[in-house]
Amino acid sequence: MLKVTGIPTTEDVAGVTPPIERLEKGPCAVIECYQKIPCNPCATSCPFGAIVRDNDINELPVIDWEICTGCAICVVNCPGLAIFTVDLSKPGKAMIKLPYEYLPLPQVGEIVDAVDRGGEVVGEAKITKVQEGKAFDRTRLVWLEVPREQAMIVRHFRQKE
Amino acid sequence: MEHREIVVVGGGPAGLCAALQAARLGAKVLLLEGDDRLGGQLIKQTHMFFGSEKQHAGTRGVDISAMLVKELKSMDNVEIRTNAMVIGRYDDGALTVDENDEFKLIYPEKVVFATGASEKMLMFANNDLPGVYGAGAVQTLMNVFGVMPAKKVLMVGAGNIGLIVSYQLMQAGVEIAAILDAGPQIGGYLVHASKIRRAGVPILTRHSVKEAIGTDMVEAAVITQLDESWQPIEGTEKTIECDAICLAVGLSPFADLFWQAGCEMKFIPELGGHVPSRDENMETSIEGIYLAGDVGGIEEASAAMVEGYLAGLNAAVSLGYGLAEAEGLRADLKDQLNDLRSGPVGDKIRSGLAKLQDD
Amino acid sequence: MSNKEYDNTIICRCEDITRGELHRWIDQGVTNLEELKRLSRATMGPCQGRTCRQLILQEIAARTGVPISEAIIPSYRQPLRGVTLGAIADMKLDEEEKPHEK
Repeated sequence: MLKVTGIPTTEDVAGVTPPIERLEKGPCAVIECYQKIPCNPCATSCPFGAIVRDNDINELPVIDWEICTGCAICVVNCPGLAIFTVDLSKPGKAMIKLPYEYLPLPQVGEIVDAVDRGGEVVGEAKITKVQEGKAFDRTRLVWLEVPREQAMIVRHFRQKE
Repeated sequence: MEHREIVVVGGGPAGLCAALQAARLGAKVLLLEGDDRLGGQLIKQTHMFFGSEKQHAGTRGVDISAMLVKELKSMDNVEIRTNAMVIGRYDDGALTVDENDEFKLIYPEKVVFATGASEKMLMFANNDLPGVYGAGAVQTLMNVFGVMPAKKVLMVGAGNIGLIVSYQLMQAGVEIAAILDAGPQIGGYLVHASKIRRAGVPILTRHSVKEAIGTDMVEAAVITQLDESWQPIEGTEKTIECDAICLAVGLSPFADLFWQAGCEMKFIPELGGHVPSRDENMETSIEGIYLAGDVGGIEEASAAMVEGYLAGLNAAVSLGYGLAEAEGLRADLKDQLNDLRSGPVGDKIRSGLAKLQDD
Repeated sequence: MSNKEYDNTIICRCEDITRGELHRWIDQGVTNLEELKRLSRATMGPCQGRTCRQLILQEIAARTGVPISEAIIPSYRQPLRGVTLGAIADMKLDEEEKPHEK
């Protein structure tokens, strides 16, 4: 249970997962924010106004997946590092963008261990891009390619020794 | 001996904002900081802040500190002194200051005490072994002095400080053996917990440290499970190898100056211990003494900053500054505090503040 | 923490007071921090009780059954930290301006 282990349950995750048809069209943000805390940079940073947290900064963010372009600006702006993007537009594969604040940075093309929300290695992933920039404020955006069925499982990676 | 309009004691988030707000309204402000640099705990916070834009959400704590300090330093009506610790407050209103080993006497017309908090300690066998640290010390070593405090740390406390310091340690290449918390649930923000958990760190609720093991320094820790009444369950002891035990078990308001001044104090566990009574303008039971930040109740830095603005505002207004804009500013600051506290994670602070109003 | 094995646990680091020693004082009737600090020097070292005050208050509360909210809290005297007599002697005082004599 999330409040005891820090790991969200399958039901928690199902509640924030965009429809498959949407993910097959291209990248889309998945906001894994389950606790009402006073916070709103996801909403204020979205250039498309896809995330709403208007009336009360304590309410959970609400995202319109049809407006979301998967640009991942919210991913690097979320103070909780709780937003990811998922893209199922390539057959058999899933592209995941995740926020990353550790060193050393992985290299493009590097094969890494793919890790789930509980910290367990669940397979391998290929690094396809590492983005950084002034607007990212030192949070890197790392693009991972994983098997399609792991799109909603892989949320971290570990470099091989 | 010096006479001053407004003296702000403490250069952390609350004090910086108190000084800024009073100075923005035109008051002459003296900011005294006991440490050799400004920023308080903000300079150790490398994570992006929560809250809303008004409290610089999405900006890292260390950068917020730099912004606030930059504005303060640009103002002609602000004097900043570091290495200047206020070590006494006397009945005639005098503050005594230990400034670079010189002993000084300052008489302020209004004073804001934003002295923060000190860390709570935990009792367990061998807790005096080198390698038993407070989380604040670990952060200072790591983020202020660039010193790696240990190779493998057992973190005690899964509140925001325990979670954030664990994350910072991992970023610095330190292994976290586990994070323990005596409570049944993780006390800190769950997004912090999740980002640490997915990096492979176990979080053990209803667990505590029973004993530190080692001859000259910590070599391991014995941990134990706790039952529903917080008592150790016999037979659940486990030994965890580590070279440091880091304690993040809460903070106590550092309210000594209010005691010396004779302000009315109340013991309110939700706020962290004994805290001064105050009105909605952050003024204590003694006219002209204001407070802001953790010294009045342990909370997030974003709330401390807003309280600072509010205290600075009211101190300045009481001297006749900013009368035209005061009402609007005050209302906005109160709204901000309300926003930060109105959700479920604000339950504790709200109930603490409510108790403060009870007689 | 009710076992004998914790008797040697240091409760006041500055003055080297153990939990066992604290319990012996309490059992002799020294049940408030005001008296305790005078007799044992607990809370009177360099940290001025910042590390141990809460722990001692908790121990007293647990052993006597009197909650911390009703505990006698000793005075917080000036100065908050050590200052040399030389520094005090060198203090610049402008006698004319002392507001309390106005």
